Amino acid sequence: MKTSTIFCGGYLCSLLFYKKETAQRAVFTFLLIFGFTLIACNNDKNNDGSDFLQYWSSNNPYEIEFAEYIVGEWNRLNTEKKVFSQPVPEGRSSEEVILAAVVGKTTPDIYSNMWQGDVEFFARSGTLIPLDTLDGFLETLYQRCDSSVIDEITSADGHIYQIPWKINPIMLIYNVNLFKSVGYKKPPQTYSQFLDAGEKLHQDLDGDGYVDLWVGYSSILADWWQRFFDFYSLYLGASNGGKLIDQGKVVFNNQSAIAVFRFLQEVYKKGYFTKELLSARQDVFIEGFIASRFVGPWEVIHAEKFKKEGFDYHFRELPVPDSHSGPVYTYGDPKNIVIFNTCKNPQKAWNFLRYLISEENDFKLLEITTQLPRRKKLIKIKQFADYFEKNPKLKPFAIQAEHVRGTDVCAQLKEIFDVISQEYEACVIYDTKTPEEAINDAAEAAQVILN
Amino acid sequence: MKSQKLTPYLMVSPYILHLGFFVLFPIVFSVILMFHRWNIISPMEFVGFQNFVKLFQDRLFFQSILNTLIFLLIHIPLQIVIALFLAEMLNQKIRLRGLLRASYFLPVVISGVVVTIVWSQLYGQDTGLLNRILVNIGLPKVGWLIDPAIAMPSIAIMATWKNVGLYVVLFLVGLQSVPPQYYEAADIDGASHWQKFRYITIPAINPTIFMVVILSTIGGFSLFIEPYIMTSGGPLNSTVSAVLYIYKQAFTYYHMGYAAALGFFFAAIIMLFVFIQRKVIERD
Repeated sequence: MKTSTIFCGGYLCSLLFYKKETAQRAVFTFLLIFGFTLIACNNDKNNDGSDFLQYWSSNNPYEIEFAEYIVGEWNRLNTEKKVFSQPVPEGRSSEEVILAAVVGKTTPDIYSNMWQGDVEFFARSGTLIPLDTLDGFLETLYQRCDSSVIDEITSADGHIYQIPWKINPIMLIYNVNLFKSVGYKKPPQTYSQFLDAGEKLHQDLDGDGYVDLWVGYSSILADWWQRFFDFYSLYLGASNGGKLIDQGKVVFNNQSAIAVFRFLQEVYKKGYFTKELLSARQDVFIEGFIASRFVGPWEVIHAEKFKKEGFDYHFRELPVPDSHSGPVYTYGDPKNIVIFNTCKNPQKAWNFLRYLISEENDFKLLEITTQLPRRKKLIKIKQFADYFEKNPKLKPFAIQAEHVRGTDVCAQLKEIFDVISQEYEACVIYDTKTPEEAINDAAEAAQVILN
Repeated sequence: MKSQKLTPYLMVSPYILHLGFFVLFPIVFSVILMFHRWNIISPMEFVGFQNFVKLFQDRLFFQSILNTLIFLLIHIPLQIVIALFLAEMLNQKIRLRGLLRASYFLPVVISGVVVTIVWSQLYGQDTGLLNRILVNIGLPKVGWLIDPAIAMPSIAIMATWKNVGLYVVLFLVGLQSVPPQYYEAADIDGASHWQKFRYITIPAINPTIFMVVILSTIGGFSLFIEPYIMTSGGPLNSTVSAVLYIYKQAFTYYHMGYAAALGFFFAAIIMLFVFIQRKVIERD
């Protein structure tokens, strides 16, 4: 960075300076080179371990507010090592921005919005600090999370590269009045009930010959990430939190995955979910075109802001197979914190992070962003319990938080989900394969990728 | 004297630097990449011709090329016919000619993403405007974007609507350069409107047709935004274009070496295609 900046400065100067060496131009050139040199030096300042820690937060306004609050408090209380925060720079996705930063060696010391599924990819390339080597990390982690979460975030090499920070469990948002209108005081909980409700709700309300009410909606696009919000969440529910990949082997060729495909295939075959792309129009849930949807707690802020008078909604677990017993798991959409290897003083970065994930600041995170900290028995901690009593729409998510899973440890996760998505499209959306064939084909293709 | 010799080099140096950094370097780097496995953040690993072996076994890549060719097969003739028809109309002395010319050009300057999102709504299966019109006149609904046989033609229609204005302008320039004496002579000989069009206009604007074919072929081969936003390559991979597939390999899976190999293979196909087109058009 330094070299390229000085080079650019020098090049511009040579263009200016080239013909007549007047004193004025010489002074201007000197100032320009000096300026560029300063900029070049400044670019590397955060990594030299002496001035401050650079912390990138997510770039949504609530998280920026949270980051500013935390950093402000930390800097006020600590004189030893200041923290400078900024939102992750704008890009097509934060993942791409982080990748570009890794390549350009301009990563921050700390990044707090790392999708769990990406961590193994970065960890294998050696760009992340193994946090379990830092003093006090494991102790804090065991206080914060139970063993299943720690198992979930432990990399294939046995190290831990991420701090489980926050989750957004995927649940069923439902229109209370619409379900009541077809005889459901509570929304359907099993596949059979959901299909029954789908049959009853599938209506042409204004008699113009077009269906304008569906029981639910999920995007039919075969993007790999779409499957986290339908197939994967339902699979976790059906399999009591089962894995897709375990120690490099595909383990999703099972009855739970087949049941999910069969259920969704029927939903689409009977037209209970529309195949239209509804994302670019007005909110179809708020407008009453669909009675339910698979969403996270972010929907609360949105629904509260845009709901019309008399619109009543609530949340509950995703539907499960009729024979299901036990708690209903779902995808937690976890975002975690990592320290990059460009950080010259990881121990000091960890000291700041220990403050960031303290119980008090977890509560602040919830208050400011309405996102749930990934902390065990959240609902039983008094101040959190009080908060959820005052915010009943978020309470189901806090209860659900006890039964969420993130992603499996796998560096090729996107490819695996792409393969599942292709088979999902063929089987669920277009009915060209049986669920058994589709899951089997997906499992075989995924194993080839893993091999 | 010395400074006079240096001046031109300094003047062109910004462009040379730009060309070097953003064109030549990527090309050379891609050639190196083709023989490596590289996920951007780990060290490159030399794999010889493995990426090409994989390429020839990759059915989805060849399907993506086929999809692109289907798109071109619909898009190019449709675009030429419509653009030429509109240009011919706008070349007449009609009322509001200036306004109409501007109107046809308007979609060209609108962002491709915006156009794609609007057309996604028009193409909606249950609530889309086009299907509503079809049902109202007693025709069955069409699965514009959800029927594997229809999705690519639907994208081609939309791309034609978006780009036709540009080719109308090119054809207009071509039409206005045809000497009016040719038509006067044909009138004296009693030629019909069609005969004048077939035997005077078409041969006279042949260079424009050639340019339009080449431009829309190259533009068509780079089909990306439309399937990326509208269909993500679906339904059943029927709209995965070659560029979309290469993009996914590079920027979703980070298979940079493989994507470079695909890119080079695809570039060779485009060159071959344009070369054949040129020969055919020149012969005609």
